[in-house]
Amino acid sequence: MARFAEPMARLIEELRKLPGIGTKSAQRLAFHILRSSTTDAEALSKAILQLKASLRLCSRCNNITDVDPCAICSSPTRNQRLVCVVEEPTNIGAIEKTRTWNGVFHVLHGTLSPVNGIGPEQLRTTNLFNRLSDIEEVILALSPTVEGEATSHYLAQEIHKLAPALPVTRIATGVPAGSDIEYADEITLSRALDNRRQL
Amino acid sequence: MTTHQTEAIVLRTWPFEEADLLVSLFTREQGVVKGVARHAMRSRKRFGGALEPMTHVRATYAEKPKQDLVRMDSFEIVWSPMSEPVDYARVAALQFLAEVLGEALPERAVEDDVFRLTVATLSEVKVGQTWMPVTYFTLWMTRLMGWLPELGACIVCAEALRGHPVWFAAGADGVTCGVHKRPGSVALPPEAVALAERMLRRPLAELLKEPSGKTGPLAMVRRFAVEILERNLERQMRSARVLARL
Ligand SMILES: [Zn+2]
Ligand SMILES: [Zn+2]
Repeated sequence: MARFAEPMARLIEELRKLPGIGTKSAQRLAFHILRSSTTDAEALSKAILQLKASLRLCSRCNNITDVDPCAICSSPTRNQRLVCVVEEPTNIGAIEKTRTWNGVFHVLHGTLSPVNGIGPEQLRTTNLFNRLSDIEEVILALSPTVEGEATSHYLAQEIHKLAPALPVTRIATGVPAGSDIEYADEITLSRALDNRRQL
Repeated sequence: MTTHQTEAIVLRTWPFEEADLLVSLFTREQGVVKGVARHAMRSRKRFGGALEPMTHVRATYAEKPKQDLVRMDSFEIVWSPMSEPVDYARVAALQFLAEVLGEALPERAVEDDVFRLTVATLSEVKVGQTWMPVTYFTLWMTRLMGWLPELGACIVCAEALRGHPVWFAAGADGVTCGVHKRPGSVALPPEAVALAERMLRRPLAELLKEPSGKTGPLAMVRRFAVEILERNLERQMRSARVLARL
């Protein structure tokens, strides 16, 4: 990085830590910030600091929020007894976009990944397990990956131990809408067949 | 540009640049190759679930002259770890296999015996059946890499050890009799040595009929083989620690 002045190299290095940002994008962003007005640069750095200072995790669902409990957990129009479990706070946005879900969420902040040092103790599950008596159904919406499946398996097992009568379901996986069956891989297609529905 | 089509095992993937994935692939034809799966993060169309670690695939990739990274073109699934139920022990076992292969195999060196061992082990790692396949794989890896010491005789006095405990120390070559054991040695009792010898002679399918659990001779053989691997790789295997704590 010797070809950039030290402050520039430092900014590029920091930007490169962001997900989906490679060296080229980091350089492009750094030069954009350098060329922008001092007011804009200050607004950006303030927004970052404020985010860190004012946001925390909801004590009920672990969603990122500025009020506790979060807007979803305190909403009177949502069914607080239906809980959809997701991996990351960003997954909430994806499900909200469907406009078909009127329950609440629980965010794990990760999936079981032995090689990355994430075991059952590292998942944020205590506040979920503590409120099972107020829940009617738990819906697991985790990634269809080996780690996501292991996490679903673990959660279902623990919930059955703590609340044997509580139904635990999992979202269906299958062929994406608007795609061609020919392009679906064998695993996706065999699961779609397993989870078929009567018409 | 040379196009290759070969059987392969996906070892690991990492996010790469904006939307690509860097893939470490253990191929039958060329050993471990690393390459880029373009747009694999955003569009799963070409790769689908085939990029999941420890998937057995038929891979098509292109090699460009004077470039280390190949271009991954398409993967067709032969066997997927997702075709069976997954629990924490099974994912730990699968990640252990991937970690051992990733650490032990040099890039671009054909290892057909290791490939066949991996394929034979993979499909037997099931929920409730992890310890025997994992131990079998680990012990065989030490042998195929040329790291497994002769278990039949003391390396110091050459006394035959059959029917006696065999002593091994993580920091030293070979195994010894009780008299010549080195500081920090651990004993492998005769029944564990006998199990290790059976593992080296018989197919996995036959061993799976034997009683197995996470303690007893099987655990001793696993610890022994893991220590040999770690000593030769000069690092501790994270997933081995997880397995030991299960
Ligand atoms: Zn909340
Ligand atoms: Zn001796």
